[in-house]
Amino acid sequence: MTEVFPLGFPPATCFYLVLLVATLVLHMVFMHYVLAGAAYLAFGRFMGPKRCAVCGWQAILIDWLPFATGLAITAGVAPLLFVQILYQREFYTANLLLSHRWMAILPVLIVCFYLLYVQKSAWITRRAWFWRIPVAGVVFAGFAFIAFSWTENHLLSLDAAAWPELYGSGSFRYTSSGLLPRLGIWFFAAFTTLAVELAWQGRLLGMKLVQPPPGVAVMGLSAVRRLSLTATSGGLGVLACGTAYAWTLPGETTRALTGPLGGAWLVAAVAGLAVQLAAWAWVAVQNRFPLPLLITATAGCLVSLTSGVVLREVVRVSTVDIKALAVAHAEAATIGGLPVFLLFAAVNAAAIVWCIRTAARAV
Amino acid sequence: MNPLEYYPIVDLGPVMKGMVIGGLGIFHVFLAQFAIGGGMLLCYLQWLHMQGKCPLARRFADGYFKALVLVSFVLGAVTGVAMWFTSIQISPRTIGVMVHEFHWVWATEWSFFCLEVVAGYLFYRYGPRLADRARMQLLLLYACASWMSLFWINGILSWQLTPGGWLESRSVWDGFFNPGFLPSLIFRTVSAAAIASLAACVLINLVGGFTRDQRESLVAICARPLVLMLVMPLLGAWYLGTMPPASRSWATGGSVPMTMFLTMAVGSSMLIGLYAVVGILRQRLFVNGATSLLLLALAFVATAGGEFVREGVRKPFTIREYLYSNAITRDGIAVLRERGSITDDPYPLRDEAAYPAEQLVVGAKVFRAQCSVCHTLEGINAVVDLAATWSLDQRRLNIAQLQRTKPFMPPFAGTAEELESLVQLIGWIEAGRPAAWQESGDAAVLNQIRQWIAEAGTSPGHERMSAELVAAEVREATGSPAPRRSMKVEP
Ligand code: HEM
Repeated sequence: MTEVFPLGFPPATCFYLVLLVATLVLHMVFMHYVLAGAAYLAFGRFMGPKRCAVCGWQAILIDWLPFATGLAITAGVAPLLFVQILYQREFYTANLLLSHRWMAILPVLIVCFYLLYVQKSAWITRRAWFWRIPVAGVVFAGFAFIAFSWTENHLLSLDAAAWPELYGSGSFRYTSSGLLPRLGIWFFAAFTTLAVELAWQGRLLGMKLVQPPPGVAVMGLSAVRRLSLTATSGGLGVLACGTAYAWTLPGETTRALTGPLGGAWLVAAVAGLAVQLAAWAWVAVQNRFPLPLLITATAGCLVSLTSGVVLREVVRVSTVDIKALAVAHAEAATIGGLPVFLLFAAVNAAAIVWCIRTAARAV
Repeated sequence: MNPLEYYPIVDLGPVMKGMVIGGLGIFHVFLAQFAIGGGMLLCYLQWLHMQGKCPLARRFADGYFKALVLVSFVLGAVTGVAMWFTSIQISPRTIGVMVHEFHWVWATEWSFFCLEVVAGYLFYRYGPRLADRARMQLLLLYACASWMSLFWINGILSWQLTPGGWLESRSVWDGFFNPGFLPSLIFRTVSAAAIASLAACVLINLVGGFTRDQRESLVAICARPLVLMLVMPLLGAWYLGTMPPASRSWATGGSVPMTMFLTMAVGSSMLIGLYAVVGILRQRLFVNGATSLLLLALAFVATAGGEFVREGVRKPFTIREYLYSNAITRDGIAVLRERGSITDDPYPLRDEAAYPAEQLVVGAKVFRAQCSVCHTLEGINAVVDLAATWSLDQRRLNIAQLQRTKPFMPPFAGTAEELESLVQLIGWIEAGRPAAWQESGDAAVLNQIRQWIAEAGTSPGHERMSAELVAAEVREATGSPAPRRSMKVEP
């Protein structure tokens, strides 16, 4: 490919690729909150009640994680639709090969979802602190398992040569050298996104980001520095895992990532990450979070997240026979209904904004 | 279109795949209808409160919504995704065609789902603090969004049974507004209202803080939508009327399980309707927790029966007249009879070493490709049991003319050799899977099978059945005698 992603593909393929990337970014925005939030919460519970009492982020997470999970699931439906248009055979085959193992993400999701409600219930606050640790631990382990399964499913979908043998072996597990580093990228990236999201939430909910509430002793880092540490360790983790993952990729894929198709996006991803790290470092030094810095970190986060999702697609299009799939994409593009979707999507988006404003005004 | 796409088919052992998707489907539909009906009921309660007609409505609505969120937002949403994933596990090609043909409809439904989640969650979180007008607006948005989700999905689901003009035009709107669309939409809306009413009766009794008198008046109000059950028989008849004649005939006596499930659905709905109208609404009987739970359980049975019938009467298709249950296209039968149904299958058997002869391996692959979506080998609905009383030749004949053996099975879509392999596999399993097995390959037998397959043709069995039904009606009308049945296979 001599053109930058998503150009250079037939129009229908390009169209669905853009839709997949856009909707997957949305899924990642919420999924990151859930995955890293669950890890943050479990860590906090483990550190004990005194630490949690002074950490406003813990309170926000307890309160908002159930809704964020609902949003992550809802936002996951749209890319699920476009994945099936773009890579139907690959996606379905991986699902079928992993079979019960893959389907296990659903009961796990239900358990995690309910435990999130348990975590914010009065029932658990009446019990000894000890009980909150396993509850938060199970929630985190559950979400980590789901993330692991998505990564495993994705990598398997790209490895067509392995399908018949895996099926014949009767195993429901797929291993590949790229699995853990790739999962690591998502896991650590989740902390950078979470930090930005929590910072906005704290700001919008009027949380005191510098001074602890009166009468509460400062323990460990300040709220702002804690976020900075969260984002920075996430960013560095992404860099380490990204490098490790690159080692596992075949030469052709690496060339696609660094060549015309993905090169600009790779630069953007690294630049976005660098901007975030710089912004968070500055936040840590100042021990406060002025709005311009928050906006800078947010922009960096969005750029690196979008570029990361694009690079994920670059890896895929350079692995599967995208030209052969283009016929199916062109056929799908002839099917009616797009104007109706656009109309209702606009109306419903406006209604969603209206709902949020109504609730915000009342509160 | 490719006659058959090869996927690594899942094996659920002794469990029928239909039971898995059916069981989950029933559960999901019940929860989804609870959410849809719940939205409508809550709007009604809020309206009553604003009119000053029910001072308790606001307090109860808040409690009801909490239950709705906990049950329907969590279980309903995740089982919705689970339906998608399970469909992939059972029949990837069917869900693939549905996604392909209706992806913008699905995307539209998703946009309503987003609104439903946001409006619902904001009401759950801030509802008790909101002024009445804002509450009503949020509830209306929530209710409209959830009903619109039903509207869109209903078009796709009803298309599977009655694809209507889509078969010719391939237009998404011809498929969406298919003959079954409207009756099914209204039927489901009424079911949703009924389920939400019954769930409300359960909650009124479960939630503390209401006196007996208060509970009584709330039950009387929440049970009002149950009046709609009176039109259920008419709606059911209308829906049945839009079904293809063969499907209708299975539900109304042609297939014992189908008829039983329909009776179950109709019977349970009637019981609920009668109790609601006579007991609750006319005689103002108080419905306690146990009774309301029992009524809700009956509603579940009715949903289960209805969904089973809806799924079952589509057979032998998953998309009527287009894609057979085993994911072979209607036009693909002839192609696969030439080419073989497993010739291009890249997937080995998981237990290939366990078969003492290559012919049995072929048989097992043929079973996997053509039969395993509805049958097991030795578990529920096992082919070995079903063919147990048949002689060897009878097995060959009945499988070669599968669509005549039972019209809810698709025509056999393979070569004579493949068919013979399947027959041998059944015999081998029946014989207790002996360590050695003599392959059969008699040319005369294969020729006979070829002839039987050719005689059966490539059309689904119900076409012949419909022709016979029409002939019988003509005979009845003209008073002419029925022809004598012959054991000889017709050319
Ligand atoms: C809250 C729990 C979830 C977590 C932690 C999670 C995590 C992930 C991760 C880590 C990936 C990237 C995999 C990779 O590229 O290696 C991913 C992709 C994806 N997720 Fe989620 N996910 C969750 C729930 C869901 C749900 C419920 C859905 C569907 C409704 C969904 C839809 C998707 C889709 C469509 C993709 C892209 C798949 C592809 O391109 O092959 N996710 N998810």
